[in-house]
Amino acid sequence: MSGEHLDEELRDVFQEITNVAMGRAADLLARLLNNYVVLPIPVVNLMERAELNMALTSLEEFESVSAVCQGFVGSRIAGEALLIFNDTSFQDIAELTNFAGDITPQIELELLMDIANILIGACLKGLAEQLDVSFSQGQPVILGQHLALNDLVSGKAGRWTRALTIEIPYRLEGRNVDCDLLLLFTEDSLKVLEDKVSFMLE
Amino acid sequence: MSIPVLICDDSSFARKQVQRALPKGWDVEVTFAGNGEEGLTAIRDGKGDVVFLDLTMPVMDGFQMLEVVKQEDLPAMVIVISGDIQPEAMERVKRLGALDFIKKPVDPDRLKQVLAEFGIYAE
Repeated sequence: MSGEHLDEELRDVFQEITNVAMGRAADLLARLLNNYVVLPIPVVNLMERAELNMALTSLEEFESVSAVCQGFVGSRIAGEALLIFNDTSFQDIAELTNFAGDITPQIELELLMDIANILIGACLKGLAEQLDVSFSQGQPVILGQHLALNDLVSGKAGRWTRALTIEIPYRLEGRNVDCDLLLLFTEDSLKVLEDKVSFMLE
Repeated sequence: MSIPVLICDDSSFARKQVQRALPKGWDVEVTFAGNGEEGLTAIRDGKGDVVFLDLTMPVMDGFQMLEVVKQEDLPAMVIVISGDIQPEAMERVKRLGALDFIKKPVDPDRLKQVLAEFGIYAE
Protein backbone atom coordinates (compact mmCIF):
# COMPACT_ATOMS: atom_id res chain seq x y z
CA MET A 1 0.00 0.00 0.00
CA SER A 2 2.95 2.32 -0.51
CA GLY A 3 1.60 3.65 -3.78
CA GLU A 4 -0.74 6.56 -4.31
CA HIS A 5 -3.81 4.43 -4.62
CA LEU A 6 -5.44 2.01 -2.35
CA ASP A 7 -5.37 -1.57 -3.51
CA GLU A 8 -8.84 -2.54 -4.74
CA GLU A 9 -8.97 -5.73 -2.68
CA LEU A 10 -8.02 -3.86 0.51
CA ARG A 11 -10.57 -1.17 -0.19
CA ASP A 12 -13.20 -3.82 -0.60
CA VAL A 13 -12.37 -5.46 2.73
CA PHE A 14 -12.26 -2.12 4.59
CA GLN A 15 -15.59 -1.23 3.08
CA GLU A 16 -17.13 -4.53 4.12
CA ILE A 17 -15.88 -4.54 7.70
CA THR A 18 -16.98 -0.92 8.01
CA ASN A 19 -20.37 -1.97 6.73
CA VAL A 20 -20.69 -4.44 9.59
CA ALA A 21 -19.36 -2.01 12.22
CA MET A 22 -21.54 0.90 11.14
CA GLY A 23 -24.57 -1.39 11.09
CA ARG A 24 -24.10 -2.10 14.79
CA ALA A 25 -23.66 1.62 15.51
CA ALA A 26 -26.78 2.44 13.49
CA ASP A 27 -28.77 -0.13 15.43
CA LEU A 28 -27.88 1.61 18.70
CA LEU A 29 -28.72 5.03 17.26
CA ALA A 30 -32.03 3.74 15.89
CA ARG A 31 -32.93 2.42 19.35
CA LEU A 32 -32.02 5.74 21.00
CA LEU A 33 -34.01 7.85 18.55
CA ASN A 34 -36.67 5.30 17.71
CA ASN A 35 -36.16 6.05 14.04
CA TYR A 36 -34.80 3.90 11.22
CA VAL A 37 -31.27 4.80 10.19
CA VAL A 38 -30.56 4.52 6.48
CA LEU A 39 -27.23 2.77 6.02
CA PRO A 40 -24.98 4.24 3.36
CA ILE A 41 -22.20 2.57 1.44
CA PRO A 42 -19.04 3.66 3.26
CA VAL A 43 -16.43 5.49 1.20
CA VAL A 44 -12.85 4.32 1.68
CA ASN A 45 -9.92 6.37 0.37
CA LEU A 46 -6.29 7.14 0.79
CA MET A 47 -6.10 10.88 1.13
CA GLU A 48 -3.83 13.86 1.51
CA ARG A 49 -4.82 16.38 4.11
CA ALA A 50 -5.50 18.98 1.46
CA GLU A 51 -8.13 16.68 -0.02
CA LEU A 52 -10.00 16.15 3.23
CA ASN A 53 -12.83 18.45 2.29
CA MET A 54 -13.49 16.17 -0.67
CA ALA A 55 -13.89 13.26 1.73
CA LEU A 56 -16.94 14.92 3.17
CA THR A 57 -19.07 14.29 0.17
CA SER A 58 -22.42 14.35 1.89
CA LEU A 59 -22.05 17.83 3.35
CA GLU A 60 -21.94 21.10 1.47
CA GLU A 61 -18.84 23.22 1.75
CA PHE A 62 -20.50 26.25 3.23
CA GLU A 63 -23.02 24.58 5.46
CA SER A 64 -22.96 25.41 9.12
CA VAL A 65 -21.76 22.39 11.06
CA SER A 66 -20.78 21.26 14.53
CA ALA A 67 -18.19 18.61 15.14
CA VAL A 68 -16.55 16.37 17.69
CA CYS A 69 -13.33 14.47 17.29
CA GLN A 70 -11.93 11.61 19.29
CA GLY A 71 -8.54 9.96 18.97
CA PHE A 72 -8.02 6.24 19.23
CA VAL A 73 -4.95 4.07 19.47
CA GLY A 74 -4.08 0.44 20.00
CA SER A 75 -2.31 -2.56 18.46
CA ARG A 76 0.06 -0.18 16.59
CA ILE A 77 -2.89 1.49 14.89
CA ALA A 78 -3.77 5.13 15.51
CA GLY A 79 -6.35 7.46 14.18
CA GLU A 80 -9.09 9.96 14.77
CA ALA A 81 -12.82 9.77 14.51
CA LEU A 82 -14.63 12.90 13.43
CA LEU A 83 -18.37 13.28 13.78
CA ILE A 84 -19.79 16.21 11.87
CA PHE A 85 -23.38 17.36 12.12
CA ASN A 86 -25.21 19.70 9.87
CA ASP A 87 -26.61 22.28 12.34
CA THR A 88 -30.07 21.97 10.84
CA SER A 89 -30.15 18.42 12.25
CA PHE A 90 -30.54 19.40 15.88
CA GLN A 91 -34.19 20.39 15.68
CA ASP A 92 -35.15 16.90 14.52
CA ILE A 93 -32.85 15.15 16.96
CA ALA A 94 -34.32 17.14 19.83
CA GLU A 95 -37.81 16.11 18.72
CA LEU A 96 -36.81 12.47 18.48
CA THR A 97 -35.33 12.50 21.96
CA ASN A 98 -38.50 14.19 23.25
CA PHE A 99 -36.63 17.28 24.29
CA ALA A 100 -39.17 20.05 24.72
CA GLY A 101 -37.27 23.20 25.73
CA ASP A 102 -35.30 25.73 23.71
CA ILE A 103 -32.46 24.28 21.71
CA THR A 104 -29.58 26.31 23.04
CA PRO A 105 -25.98 25.77 21.94
CA GLN A 106 -25.50 23.94 25.24
CA ILE A 107 -28.31 21.50 24.42
CA GLU A 108 -26.91 21.01 20.93
CA LEU A 109 -23.59 20.19 22.49
CA GLU A 110 -25.15 17.56 24.72
CA LEU A 111 -26.99 15.94 21.83
CA LEU A 112 -23.82 16.03 19.75
CA MET A 113 -21.80 14.37 22.51
CA ASP A 114 -24.44 11.72 23.18
CA ILE A 115 -24.59 10.69 19.55
CA ALA A 116 -20.82 10.89 19.12
CA ASN A 117 -20.37 8.52 22.05
CA ILE A 118 -22.74 6.00 20.55
CA LEU A 119 -21.62 6.12 16.93
CA ILE A 120 -17.87 6.45 17.42
CA GLY A 121 -17.74 3.90 20.23
CA ALA A 122 -19.78 1.26 18.44
CA CYS A 123 -18.05 1.74 15.10
CA LEU A 124 -14.56 1.47 16.55
CA LYS A 125 -15.55 -1.55 18.62
CA GLY A 126 -17.02 -3.26 15.57
CA LEU A 127 -13.92 -2.61 13.48
CA ALA A 128 -11.57 -3.69 16.28
CA GLU A 129 -13.45 -6.95 16.83
CA GLN A 130 -13.26 -7.91 13.18
CA LEU A 131 -9.60 -6.94 12.86
CA ASP A 132 -8.83 -8.72 16.10
CA VAL A 133 -7.23 -5.64 17.68
CA SER A 134 -8.26 -3.36 20.51
CA PHE A 135 -8.46 0.41 20.58
CA SER A 136 -8.45 2.78 23.52
CA GLN A 137 -10.34 5.97 22.93
CA GLY A 138 -9.19 9.40 24.07
CA GLN A 139 -11.45 12.09 25.42
CA PRO A 140 -13.84 13.51 22.85
CA VAL A 141 -12.99 17.08 21.87
CA ILE A 142 -15.40 19.64 20.50
CA LEU A 143 -13.93 20.99 17.29
CA GLY A 144 -16.50 23.70 17.11
CA GLN A 145 -20.12 24.64 16.80
CA HIS A 146 -21.74 26.56 13.98
CA LEU A 147 -18.67 26.55 11.80
CA ALA A 148 -18.49 26.60 8.04
CA LEU A 149 -17.39 23.14 6.97
CA ASN A 150 -14.42 24.67 5.13
CA ASP A 151 -13.12 26.30 8.31
CA LEU A 152 -13.50 23.09 10.22
CA VAL A 153 -11.54 21.09 7.71
CA SER A 154 -8.73 23.57 7.23
CA GLY A 155 -8.52 24.38 10.93
CA LYS A 156 -8.16 21.83 13.60
CA ALA A 157 -8.41 18.32 12.32
CA GLY A 158 -5.17 17.00 13.76
CA ARG A 159 -1.54 16.91 12.69
CA TRP A 160 -1.41 14.51 9.83
CA THR A 161 -0.53 14.69 6.17
CA ARG A 162 -1.86 11.50 4.61
CA ALA A 163 -4.42 9.07 5.91
CA LEU A 164 -6.74 6.22 5.18
CA THR A 165 -10.19 7.76 5.39
CA ILE A 166 -13.50 6.01 5.84
CA GLU A 167 -16.57 8.18 5.45
CA ILE A 168 -19.93 7.03 6.74
CA PRO A 169 -22.75 9.43 5.90
CA TYR A 170 -25.64 8.45 8.15
CA ARG A 171 -29.16 9.63 7.44
CA LEU A 172 -32.31 9.25 9.50
CA GLU A 173 -35.24 8.06 7.44
CA GLY A 174 -37.95 10.69 7.04
CA ARG A 175 -35.92 13.24 8.98
CA ASN A 176 -33.74 16.17 8.14
CA VAL A 177 -30.65 14.82 9.86
CA ASP A 178 -27.27 14.67 8.16
CA CYS A 179 -24.31 13.43 10.02
CA ASP A 180 -21.00 12.28 8.74
CA LEU A 181 -18.72 9.98 10.63
CA LEU A 182 -15.19 10.17 9.30
CA LEU A 183 -12.53 7.75 10.47
CA LEU A 184 -8.94 8.69 9.76
CA PHE A 185 -6.14 6.18 10.16
CA THR A 186 -2.56 7.50 10.21
CA GLU A 187 -0.18 6.57 7.45
CA ASP A 188 1.91 4.51 9.92
CA SER A 189 -1.14 2.39 10.72
CA LEU A 190 -1.64 1.29 7.15
CA LYS A 191 0.94 -1.47 7.19
CA VAL A 192 -0.56 -2.97 10.34
CA LEU A 193 -4.07 -2.73 8.93
CA GLU A 194 -2.88 -4.34 5.73
CA ASP A 195 -1.41 -7.29 7.69
CA LYS A 196 -4.59 -7.73 9.71
CA VAL A 197 -6.72 -7.66 6.59
CA SER A 198 -4.52 -10.16 4.77
CA PHE A 199 -5.34 -12.68 7.51
CA MET A 200 -9.01 -12.21 6.76
CA LEU A 201 -8.41 -12.80 3.05
CA GLU A 202 -6.75 -16.17 3.57
CA MET B 1 -28.95 -32.09 -9.80
CA SER B 2 -27.07 -29.18 -8.23
CA ILE B 3 -29.15 -26.43 -6.65
CA PRO B 4 -28.62 -23.00 -8.29
CA VAL B 5 -27.44 -20.67 -5.52
CA LEU B 6 -26.98 -16.94 -6.01
CA ILE B 7 -24.80 -14.81 -3.74
CA CYS B 8 -25.66 -11.13 -4.21
CA ASP B 9 -23.37 -8.62 -2.48
CA ASP B 10 -21.38 -5.61 -3.72
CA SER B 11 -18.28 -6.72 -1.83
CA SER B 12 -16.23 -9.55 -3.31
CA PHE B 13 -14.83 -10.20 0.18
CA ALA B 14 -18.36 -10.63 1.53
CA ARG B 15 -19.34 -12.90 -1.38
CA LYS B 16 -16.38 -15.15 -0.59
CA GLN B 17 -17.27 -15.16 3.09
CA VAL B 18 -20.77 -16.37 2.27
CA GLN B 19 -19.49 -18.96 -0.19
CA ARG B 20 -17.08 -20.31 2.43
CA ALA B 21 -19.92 -20.48 4.96
CA LEU B 22 -22.05 -22.77 2.78
CA PRO B 23 -22.37 -26.30 4.23
CA LYS B 24 -19.61 -28.64 3.03
CA GLY B 25 -20.98 -31.28 0.74
CA TRP B 26 -24.05 -29.24 -0.25
CA ASP B 27 -24.45 -29.86 -3.97
CA VAL B 28 -24.77 -26.33 -5.38
CA GLU B 29 -23.94 -24.32 -8.46
CA VAL B 30 -22.91 -20.86 -7.19
CA THR B 31 -23.41 -17.64 -9.16
CA PHE B 32 -22.31 -14.19 -7.97
CA ALA B 33 -23.98 -10.81 -8.45
CA GLY B 34 -22.75 -7.36 -7.37
CA ASN B 35 -26.07 -5.58 -7.02
CA GLY B 36 -29.83 -6.13 -7.13
CA GLU B 37 -30.13 -5.65 -10.87
CA GLU B 38 -27.51 -8.28 -11.62
CA GLY B 39 -29.20 -10.44 -9.02
CA LEU B 40 -32.57 -10.21 -10.76
CA THR B 41 -31.00 -11.10 -14.10
CA ALA B 42 -29.45 -14.20 -12.55
CA ILE B 43 -32.72 -15.24 -10.93
CA ARG B 44 -34.60 -14.84 -14.23
CA ASP B 45 -31.91 -17.01 -15.84
CA GLY B 46 -32.71 -19.74 -13.34
CA LYS B 47 -29.46 -19.25 -11.40
CA GLY B 48 -31.00 -18.30 -8.08
CA ASP B 49 -33.36 -20.89 -6.61
CA VAL B 50 -31.72 -20.01 -3.30
CA VAL B 51 -30.47 -16.43 -2.92
CA PHE B 52 -28.19 -14.97 -0.25
CA LEU B 53 -28.82 -11.26 -0.43
CA ASP B 54 -27.01 -8.20 1.01
CA LEU B 55 -29.06 -5.05 1.63
CA THR B 56 -26.67 -2.11 1.24
CA MET B 57 -25.63 -2.13 -2.42
CA PRO B 58 -25.24 0.43 -5.22
CA VAL B 59 -27.49 0.58 -8.31
CA MET B 60 -30.28 -1.49 -6.76
CA ASP B 61 -30.21 -2.38 -3.08
CA GLY B 62 -31.51 -5.51 -1.42
CA PHE B 63 -34.84 -4.00 -0.36
CA GLN B 64 -35.59 -2.93 -3.93
CA MET B 65 -34.61 -6.31 -5.29
CA LEU B 66 -36.89 -8.09 -2.82
CA GLU B 67 -39.77 -5.88 -3.95
CA VAL B 68 -39.30 -6.96 -7.56
CA VAL B 69 -38.96 -10.63 -6.61
CA LYS B 70 -42.22 -10.32 -4.70
CA GLN B 71 -44.08 -8.30 -7.37
CA GLU B 72 -43.09 -10.62 -10.19
CA ASP B 73 -43.38 -13.69 -8.00
CA LEU B 74 -39.95 -14.88 -9.12
CA PRO B 75 -39.01 -18.43 -8.10
CA ALA B 76 -36.36 -17.55 -5.51
CA MET B 77 -36.02 -18.37 -1.84
CA VAL B 78 -34.21 -15.33 -0.45
CA ILE B 79 -32.19 -15.28 2.75
CA VAL B 80 -30.86 -11.85 3.68
CA ILE B 81 -27.29 -11.59 4.99
CA SER B 82 -26.64 -8.03 6.10
CA GLY B 83 -24.84 -5.71 8.49
CA ASP B 84 -28.05 -3.72 8.89
CA ILE B 85 -29.17 -5.34 12.13
CA GLN B 86 -31.88 -2.83 13.04
CA PRO B 87 -35.08 -4.68 14.00
CA GLU B 88 -36.86 -2.47 11.45
CA ALA B 89 -34.65 -3.82 8.66
CA MET B 90 -35.40 -7.42 9.64
CA GLU B 91 -39.15 -6.76 9.74
CA ARG B 92 -39.05 -5.02 6.37
CA VAL B 93 -37.23 -7.83 4.58
CA LYS B 94 -39.58 -10.42 6.02
CA ARG B 95 -42.59 -8.38 4.92
CA LEU B 96 -40.98 -8.30 1.48
CA GLY B 97 -40.87 -12.06 1.41
CA ALA B 98 -37.38 -12.94 2.64
CA LEU B 99 -37.31 -16.29 4.45
CA ASP B 100 -34.95 -15.17 7.15
CA PHE B 101 -32.25 -12.75 8.20
CA ILE B 102 -28.64 -13.57 9.07
CA LYS B 103 -26.38 -10.88 10.48
CA LYS B 104 -22.89 -10.22 9.14
CA PRO B 105 -20.22 -11.47 9.48
CA VAL B 106 -21.99 -14.66 8.53
CA ASP B 107 -21.75 -17.59 10.95
CA PRO B 108 -21.68 -20.96 9.11
CA ASP B 109 -23.65 -22.72 11.87
CA ARG B 110 -26.39 -20.12 11.77
CA LEU B 111 -26.52 -20.40 7.99
CA LYS B 112 -26.84 -24.19 8.19
CA GLN B 113 -29.57 -23.86 10.81
CA VAL B 114 -31.60 -21.49 8.61
CA LEU B 115 -31.24 -23.78 5.59
CA ALA B 116 -32.37 -26.75 7.68
CA GLU B 117 -35.31 -24.85 9.12
CA PHE B 118 -36.71 -24.21 5.66
CA GLY B 119 -35.92 -27.69 4.41
CA ILE B 120 -33.42 -26.37 1.87
CA TYR B 121 -30.52 -28.43 3.14
CA ALA B 122 -30.31 -31.37 5.53
CA GLU B 123 -27.17 -33.22 6.59
